[in-house]
Amino acid sequence: MAAVSYKPYFSAGLKEWIFTTDHKKIGIMYGVTSLIFFLIAGLSALAIRLELYQPGLQHMSEDTYNQALTVHGVVMQFWWAVGIWSSFGNYLLPLMIGARDVAFPRLNALSYWFFFAASVLALLTLLPGNHIKMMWTGYPPFSLNDNAGPTAFYALIVHMLGASSLASAINLVVTNLTMRAPGITLKKMNLFLHSFLAMNVIQILGVPALAGAVTMLLMDKYFQTAFFDPTRGGDPLLYQNLFWFYSHPVVYVMILPAFGLISEMIAVFSRREIFGKTSMIIAIWGIALLGFMVWIHHMFTSGVPDWIRILFSYTTVLIGVPTGIKIFNWVFTLYKGSVRFKTPMLYTLSAIFMFLIGGLTGIPLGLPAFDIAVHDSHFVVAHFHYVLGMSLTLAAFGGFHYWYPKYTGRMYSELWAKIGLLLIMIGSNLFYFLQFIVGLEGMPRRYADYPPIDSWIWLHELQTIGSMILGFGIIVAVLNLLLSTKLGKKAEDNPWSSPSLEWLVPSPPPPHNFDKIPHMPEDWDPYNYEWLEKQHRKH
Amino acid sequence: MKEVLAYPANYWQTMYEIWLIISVVIYLVVFLPAAYFLVKYRYRKGINEKAQHVEESKALEVLWTIIPTIVVIYLATQSFAFYRVQRNAPEGALEIKVTAFMWGWEFEYPNGKKVFSFFNSVVDPEKNVYLTTDKVNDMFKAYIPEGRPIKVLCTSRDVIHSFYVHPAKVTEDCVPGRITHLWFQINKPGDYWVFCREYCGTQHSKMAAVLKVVPKEEFENWLQQGVQANQENSKHNL
Ligand code: HEM
Ligand SMILES: [Cu+2]
Ligand SMILES: [Cu+2]
Repeated sequence: MAAVSYKPYFSAGLKEWIFTTDHKKIGIMYGVTSLIFFLIAGLSALAIRLELYQPGLQHMSEDTYNQALTVHGVVMQFWWAVGIWSSFGNYLLPLMIGARDVAFPRLNALSYWFFFAASVLALLTLLPGNHIKMMWTGYPPFSLNDNAGPTAFYALIVHMLGASSLASAINLVVTNLTMRAPGITLKKMNLFLHSFLAMNVIQILGVPALAGAVTMLLMDKYFQTAFFDPTRGGDPLLYQNLFWFYSHPVVYVMILPAFGLISEMIAVFSRREIFGKTSMIIAIWGIALLGFMVWIHHMFTSGVPDWIRILFSYTTVLIGVPTGIKIFNWVFTLYKGSVRFKTPMLYTLSAIFMFLIGGLTGIPLGLPAFDIAVHDSHFVVAHFHYVLGMSLTLAAFGGFHYWYPKYTGRMYSELWAKIGLLLIMIGSNLFYFLQFIVGLEGMPRRYADYPPIDSWIWLHELQTIGSMILGFGIIVAVLNLLLSTKLGKKAEDNPWSSPSLEWLVPSPPPPHNFDKIPHMPEDWDPYNYEWLEKQHRKH
Repeated sequence: MKEVLAYPANYWQTMYEIWLIISVVIYLVVFLPAAYFLVKYRYRKGINEKAQHVEESKALEVLWTIIPTIVVIYLATQSFAFYRVQRNAPEGALEIKVTAFMWGWEFEYPNGKKVFSFFNSVVDPEKNVYLTTDKVNDMFKAYIPEGRPIKVLCTSRDVIHSFYVHPAKVTEDCVPGRITHLWFQINKPGDYWVFCREYCGTQHSKMAAVLKVVPKEEFENWLQQGVQANQENSKHNL
């Protein structure tokens, strides 16, 4: 498209990176931070798995285990499963809607630096004396107890992240709604944009509840209030209600963007418009809405009245319906397509079929008659690892590969990418599937040690082996991405032949994205692959 | 009814089997067509280079909205029916008060007899590893009569814990300032685990206790013996 050639957006000095308000640089900064934290949390998980290899404590004390698990949970949730979408959202959203930047570029930089500040705080908790051991849920009264470590760290980290998410969410919603180039109507927005819109709306509605909860926690611990302290008339379940009012919807903040990526990739590599696009959009918003009406399923054994549990079991399982619609539509997108098995497509298909396992094992957790036996067991842990640890992570890694030529102007090695994925799939299925079984056998979660019950022992041994294969696969995938920035072949501007707007600018894009704000013609659609061919023929 | 090890685990078992069958069917219903499409419509040079146009299908959309709705509502209703039984103790259940604390359990029987079990009562003190249930000192075991429903009233002295009866497949949190309940019945003498299922700090993973299920007469004898004795024994641990 561009006649003049510009320096790519990333050739800039350190100072320019630090003071940048360019959405692409900020996107990359989010991505690098997220990925580093993902690796830290992954290492702490491998340490945990090593400890669980055999009953007894071989490698660490209980306190170290609890700290490592807190780090793993907090970082995986907030830096990886939520944080990584700030990277994709910032980088791609303005490009997809034909804008030169987000609506409030400086606010955007501030969002990142809040995220950075939270990262520094998180690293500070690794210093002796600062260890936090309250798990990512931070339930009082335990989190008010000194055994949990400095609560202030936990509360301030959540606040920093909350401020960052809120600012970023408002920014991206406004950008999406007001800055779309002429011709990109609501109907012609791709599903990535729809998912990110819904995700950011959830953030705006939900974050305040969590911020309120941790503020009350902070005041209880340091300013003698008694919101949650039962000995002085408070109620610990109030915290759980506030916490899950946000933290259930937040699982859709995590997974809806993943769905968005999956939709983009499966359409491109089947060369077909998403089947049932309208129903996909309805499903996204249905999930977002229902997501706020199910939080009690995290409290099915917490002592709330039985009738509330039953009520929320119905709302919970109903979420399966819009989720199912999405899966069926993806499958039918393959129908009569022309399917290409490139790495991002393989990641996408893996993400879908792992999500299916995660979803099907989520349904029984919404049934109190089932949950009564597996609540807070490794069954739950396996369920959310299929959903987050696998499906979300596979979608994100698929996205790294898919937009890799866009980000870097180069291609990764297809062979190593496939080897990485194969290792990840073998390792994680061995690990997480057996985690279900040990959970069904009763193994409680957050246990540094466990009794020598025969079946538990071999199940844990195999899980640890699986997790090591998984870790190895991740290393292969990440190394391939890193090394290819230098060794990779030069990529074409639009290697996947997608008519989506981000692919119509050069790869990597110039600093200002578009020379002219594009006017998209009537017959253009982000999934109209014929249109692109017609354009090529015209030239 | 066929001989089951523990109630209400049998209801969980049935719920589990119903769910498992439905899930496997759903998985196949999604996976098989997908696998077929992937093979049939793969890109092949000269044969399948371009996707064909596909009309949207209202009928399909309606189908895969209605059927899952019916399935999940059925599951929730089945769960509702089971849950009533799983939650409500039968008439004449023996009531035991359980108080959780960091890190151990206090069991109080109707006649005032108490049993304490601490995190270090279930481990080998030298090696800090779990004992098997038979190696745990009987003094720390909560005796339970065989084949009799037990209703547990649970609370906590400090933070939230959760009382999980391993063979009966039931768990309920023990929340300070509240009294929660659950019930179970074990039909075979033996030693069974109870675990804390809500994270509660350093010794969370050793916050276990052993239930010693014995024939009814043996239980009655035990209940009458030394109501206060083992409290003295346990004091040094506190
Ligand atoms: C190398 C890959 C991973 C390994 C080996 C791993 C391992 C584990 C294990 C063993 C536990 C449970 C420990 C226990 O309850 O005692 C756990 C918990 C958890 N994992 Fe992972 N995991 C991995 C990746 C992920 C990813 C990618 C995510 C999210 C995106 C994730 C999110 C969580 C969360 C939220 C918890 C719960 C923490 C808590 O109980 O507070 N994990 N992980
Ligand atoms: Cu939830
Ligand atoms: Cu406990």
